[in-house]
Amino acid sequence: MTEPTDFELLELATPYALHAMSEAEQTELDRRVAGAPAPVAAAFAEEVRTVREAMALVSATTAAEPPAHLRAATLALAKPDRRSRWRTAALASAAAAIVVGGAAFGVGVLMRPHPTQTVAEQIMTAPDVRTVSRPLANGTATVMFSRDRNAGVLVMNNVPPPAPGTVYQMWLIGSTGPTSAGTMGTAAVTPSTTHMFNDLGSSKALAFTVEPGNGSPQPTSAILAELPLS
Amino acid sequence: MLTIGYGSMTGPRRLSSDLDALLPRVARGENDAFAALYDLTKTRVYGLVVRVLRDPGYSEETTQEIYLEVWRSASDYNPAKGSALAWLLTMAHRRAVDRVRAEQAGSRRESRYGAANIDPAGGPAGDTVADSAVAGDERRRVLACLEALTAAQRECIDLAYYGGLTYAEVSQRLATNLSTIKSRMRDALRGLRNCLDVS
Repeated sequence: MTEPTDFELLELATPYALHAMSEAEQTELDRRVAGAPAPVAAAFAEEVRTVREAMALVSATTAAEPPAHLRAATLALAKPDRRSRWRTAALASAAAAIVVGGAAFGVGVLMRPHPTQTVAEQIMTAPDVRTVSRPLANGTATVMFSRDRNAGVLVMNNVPPPAPGTVYQMWLIGSTGPTSAGTMGTAAVTPSTTHMFNDLGSSKALAFTVEPGNGSPQPTSAILAELPLS
Repeated sequence: MLTIGYGSMTGPRRLSSDLDALLPRVARGENDAFAALYDLTKTRVYGLVVRVLRDPGYSEETTQEIYLEVWRSASDYNPAKGSALAWLLTMAHRRAVDRVRAEQAGSRRESRYGAANIDPAGGPAGDTVADSAVAGDERRRVLACLEALTAAQRECIDLAYYGGLTYAEVSQRLATNLSTIKSRMRDALRGLRNCLDVS
């Protein structure tokens, strides 16, 4: 049986499929559909599917040739995961980036403990240091972290600055959801950008979004990159 | 009566079956499959993004984000839930709308996006659309379906789908109550689906 609220739910399938609702409305609708009787949920999904199939056909009317240079730039994003070779390169580039950032030390320093180590040095010399790397925009985000030290250092190579009026916002994803771990505005992002995280807590991942203004209390846009911290 | 769709057209049907074959290879990390997928879909993806964002620079960035998401999530595509083309363009539209809303949250909204208006006979794609006979024929048929909608229905779809407005914002913009807007959107899509023979 279809209750009035079920009708209301199905009526929202079209704006839902067209992304014509706010994040909050969409989340609420997802919750309601998940709790709806199975036939209602199935009818909702079917309505969404057919709307999207129709709009896929309508895309014939907006087709436009992208600039030729976009092809190489886009295909370059598709890098196979070369984890085994990564660590040495990442450490070297991180060290170089940190030298640029002012905390001058050479790669040799990384190899032995030092009485006046910076947090970055402590992370990179920690026995449990791990490195995770993911593509971010046109560049790469790499985080080296140590659970023992409860800290991490982020290195972004060749990541373009966010559009004016927006920031990259970093989120530590824990069991209770995302917690802001800082923002980077247009001026803060250079060809090699570093950022420290001094309290990883029990977070499972580091995620990036683009947020308006000076950042948001919670993510308001899709995650651009997610680096697992495990 | 003019009806088109997967059943009667070779264009989108072939495109979607090519994509169906490519996506599992992309999921396995095959770069040549990714390149082939880009070449097959770039005009659809970039065209939709630039129609929403109306800025070539933002559109290039967003297009790259979309293909990066395709590269990373190709294994999530489930043919039982819809066509590959719809999967890809849903992802593209989501990112374009997210980006336009992020930009709109700044101060440029009204000047850049306030004047969105539908023009089914000649959008920005008019002279840049892929110049093949199939593409031209397909485009004409879809345009005929758009033209078969009422002006009020087209306006709703234009403001929401291409303008990135929520249905509540469409209601405010048109000073029309929410339930009327919801009905217009639903009726517009029913009309399109029937005309396009979407099953």
